[in-house]
Amino acid sequence: MILLEPQNVIIQTTLSEKIIKPSSLDVQFVDYDGVRFHLSTPEKKTVLLLSMHIRCWDELVKYGALDILRREYGALVATQVENEYNVSLEIDIEQVPADPEARDAFVMSIALFKRNALAAPFELGFKTQKELESSGGQGELMQIHYRDEEAIYIQASLDRVTVIFSTVFQDETDRIFGKVFLQEFVDARRQPSIQNAPQVLYSNRDPPLEIRHVPGLRNTEDVGYVTFVLFPRHFVNPSTASATISHIQLFRDYLHYHIKCSKAYMHSRMRHRVAEFQKVLNRAKTEVATGERKTVSGRTMVSR
Amino acid sequence: MSVLAPIICDNGTGYSKIGFAGNSDPSFVFPTAIATRGSSSQSSRAPAVPSKPGHLASKRGVEDLDFFIGDEALANAKTPGYGVHYPIRHGMIDNWDHMERYWEQTIFKYLRAEPEDHYFLLTEPPLNPPENREQTAEIFFESFNIKGLYIAVQAVLALAASWSSNRVTDRTLTGTVIDSGDGVTHVIPCAEGYVIGSAIKHIPIAGRDISQFVLNLMRERGEMAAVPPEDQLRVASKVKENYSYVCQDIVREFRKYDEEPLKYFERYEGEHTVTGRKYGVDVGYERFLAPEIFFNPEIYSSDFLTPLPEIVDDVIQQSPIDVRRGLYKNIVLSGGSTMFQYFGQRLKRDLKQIVDRRLDASALASGSTQKSSGVEVDVISHKRQRYAVWFGGSLLASLPEFYTSCHTKAQYDEIGPSICRRYQIFGSAT
Repeated sequence: MILLEPQNVIIQTTLSEKIIKPSSLDVQFVDYDGVRFHLSTPEKKTVLLLSMHIRCWDELVKYGALDILRREYGALVATQVENEYNVSLEIDIEQVPADPEARDAFVMSIALFKRNALAAPFELGFKTQKELESSGGQGELMQIHYRDEEAIYIQASLDRVTVIFSTVFQDETDRIFGKVFLQEFVDARRQPSIQNAPQVLYSNRDPPLEIRHVPGLRNTEDVGYVTFVLFPRHFVNPSTASATISHIQLFRDYLHYHIKCSKAYMHSRMRHRVAEFQKVLNRAKTEVATGERKTVSGRTMVSR
Repeated sequence: MSVLAPIICDNGTGYSKIGFAGNSDPSFVFPTAIATRGSSSQSSRAPAVPSKPGHLASKRGVEDLDFFIGDEALANAKTPGYGVHYPIRHGMIDNWDHMERYWEQTIFKYLRAEPEDHYFLLTEPPLNPPENREQTAEIFFESFNIKGLYIAVQAVLALAASWSSNRVTDRTLTGTVIDSGDGVTHVIPCAEGYVIGSAIKHIPIAGRDISQFVLNLMRERGEMAAVPPEDQLRVASKVKENYSYVCQDIVREFRKYDEEPLKYFERYEGEHTVTGRKYGVDVGYERFLAPEIFFNPEIYSSDFLTPLPEIVDDVIQQSPIDVRRGLYKNIVLSGGSTMFQYFGQRLKRDLKQIVDRRLDASALASGSTQKSSGVEVDVISHKRQRYAVWFGGSLLASLPEFYTSCHTKAQYDEIGPSICRRYQIFGSAT
């Protein structure tokens, strides 16, 4: 598994099970970036209520998340939002399409709940870029504080959309891994095979020019900024645009996943090494003398 | 922001139960299997060493990311180039490389949680060496940078799960746990949250043996003739799960079945997995004979002959004398193979007989007229028995004192892996 999948597996599996066999349910689970879900059957077994709590909901609403969710889910978006959560979907199992393929597609679209909510600022950015093509100038700098200390900044301009991630590494080791990784992102783009990929810039400590004027940026050693420059070809048609959004949203989690994977890889190399050294040590052991030992007078020593 | 729910990870020999604290059922239950590139015969094959110069990405392939876990691993077992491994053997982690990668994908692909934001509760079998705890702690704190970790003994969690039964009035961590899964059955005495290691006993009869026994019975009666050979074991285990119960008197049960076969015989309808042809089998005596092998093991094999109630009695008699009353009073069932109807009642009755007989004998031997007031024997069965260990974990991790019992990342950094050798027992203060 190199890429992370955009859909939530718990929603996907639970929903597919419940469609076949409805029963009462009350589960809470999470998704990346502190998103909390609550899936329950408050009134009857066939009506599921899926509520989501997302940290940056107010910002997302500002950039049109509700419109996107209404477009994706239509009437499913519940008018009454559950307490402590930001948005709810009401899924009536009896209304689910019976055709297996259509059903799978429906389940998948529900499982992409978080992705769709978080897609709003990106879609808005892409739209603004189209408008700016004729008029020129710069779009608004959109800020999404999706984690406590980290944020995504999106800005549309005449010929591109700039996406900037700020990342904070909690752990010393992670920071070093992260630095190598991000540097590699920049370097790997020089390879001829991936010239179409978005341009990536990485800066440690100093924020890029686009967001330098934003107040409250941390200026410490453990902060890094990754800038993606998306050109119109990355969102020229709806399917490329949605793939771009799905991938770029998960960038932070992708980065952390791979840092953890590389650590796991290092650990397995270390274990292998230790096992090899142990073999060497075992070979170096002197053989235990087993012959019969006698005293000067010729009697045998017996250990009791 | 409020703290996100702790993650409960119960990795067993056969299946892993994974989910979030506060829920009543695990979010995922899948086999503890990992399918990796490379043949399964080479057990500790080291990953490839980077050789080419250039970017890191071109230095090595992505073999270490190319693997599947759980059901996907078994589905890919036949794919050329993949080999299936089971990183846990007899409840203990055997292959740390595989286990680390197994956890990696559990967290990132299935739970979709950022481990840095969560507390974790893991389980371990009784008598797990402390070195294993240290290794686990190293992986979780150093690879995943988790916030905090608690490693609990499975038997203690099973005791905690029994608190959900409405028959339990005082929440105690003293009791005998009968944990019967697929491979082996353990009888584990616990006193105040500590396992009495010297008294633990294992019984080589568990779910797999019951299925095999049902299969043997049905073959002898000729029922299995209609069932395709590759489906037979599956049918037998379905029969075991869906129709079996524990009877109180085997002779009377046989008579009942012979007098009114139409009332007691059930019909199992199945479908051939490949051709889709329908078939049906009659389910008869195996309904009550299947779980009977716990109480009369001689009907299944001659290798192991001690009935379960006797083993339980032995275990309790080997425990310190001051906890024996508590152990008799709180016998808790856990695991799928204890789910048979009336299992608890039968065990209680048989055990009570053994205990009473001994009391009478000692009264007779002492020759005094004073009589003992008796020993209370109680077997607790509850609704959450199947995933009792996981449920117990979920219950404990949703208590506020869970966070104080955990070892945090900061403590780990300060002291090192040895910190995880000991954990505070929950509820010991209350």
